[in-house]
Amino acid sequence: MKARSFTLEAVEWDPWLEPVAAGTATEKQRAALEASPQANSPYFRTLAHDVDSLAERSPLFHSVMYVPRGLRRAERELATVVVSIINGCIYCSSVHARRFAELTKQPEVIQALYDQGLDTQLPPRLRAIVDYAAKLTREPAAMTVADLKPLRDVGMDDLEIFDLTNAAAMFANANRLMQTLGEPVIREAKP
Amino acid sequence: MADLMNTLLGIAEGSALAELRTQRPEVLRHTQGSHDVLLCPEDPGGLSLAERALVAQRVAALSGHAALATYYQGLVEARGVVAPARREALLAHASLLATSPGRATPDNLTALRAVGLSERDMVALSQLIAFVSYQVRAAVGLALLAREKVA
Repeated sequence: MKARSFTLEAVEWDPWLEPVAAGTATEKQRAALEASPQANSPYFRTLAHDVDSLAERSPLFHSVMYVPRGLRRAERELATVVVSIINGCIYCSSVHARRFAELTKQPEVIQALYDQGLDTQLPPRLRAIVDYAAKLTREPAAMTVADLKPLRDVGMDDLEIFDLTNAAAMFANANRLMQTLGEPVIREAKP
Repeated sequence: MADLMNTLLGIAEGSALAELRTQRPEVLRHTQGSHDVLLCPEDPGGLSLAERALVAQRVAALSGHAALATYYQGLVEARGVVAPARREALLAHASLLATSPGRATPDNLTALRAVGLSERDMVALSQLIAFVSYQVRAAVGLALLAREKVA
């Protein structure tokens, strides 16, 4: 059934378009799928219909989220959860909330964001990350240099802010793809 | 093709911001690469170059990014007109996704099919709208870092 609320449980995704079938994929489509996080997922097989954009997006996504140094991985994950909550993307939020919880062992941070909203009480560094990601998502045109001050106050350097920006921006992208080409579903547990 | 982000933001070669961007070479390369395959594809399929420019312009404008909106407006003017029914359907989809990404339904895809979009065209359109939404925010963050340095 369709998933209707934000969760730390695993959620699946059903496409609204018929994905490219593994058996009929062209060589180019197979190569782009192999370079994606999960070659066989319905999501990436749906994106494979337009193979050249998938072939650019997968390495972009990978670099934004996982390249070492700069902003900690868990903090990139947190930013993407914030963006996904604002944009209503239950699927993206679940995936990246679970990654944050795995990395930090702090699922309660996510649960507080879900239950109490983005202005729930947080440690200063996480507060600064949440506020920056939220404003960049909601009102990119209203951002000013003053919005960097809370990040500088908790000690962030240029590379960390650059990584935070890219992670939040990447989910402006991911949330739109996920929510226009399909929907989040929760599978009934098999008896 | 020169790097669009550096050009639009006036990031000079050798500057601190240019150096910062080179610390994430794959982000630099595939941000430009995504632009190139979505806005200037060798084979645009059933989503014409004029239609792609139109959609990108609308997303940049609705996101409030004047420099990107102006850049895409230049492409719109260079690429010619889009048939009215297609124009209406494409802009409706772009506006919905730019401003309310959580409100799309399967009916929106039905409306796109009705004006002739194939599976590939619908995916390309979604990628294009999603890309410009990313590009606007990436550009805003970089511009803040640039402005902070001269403040």
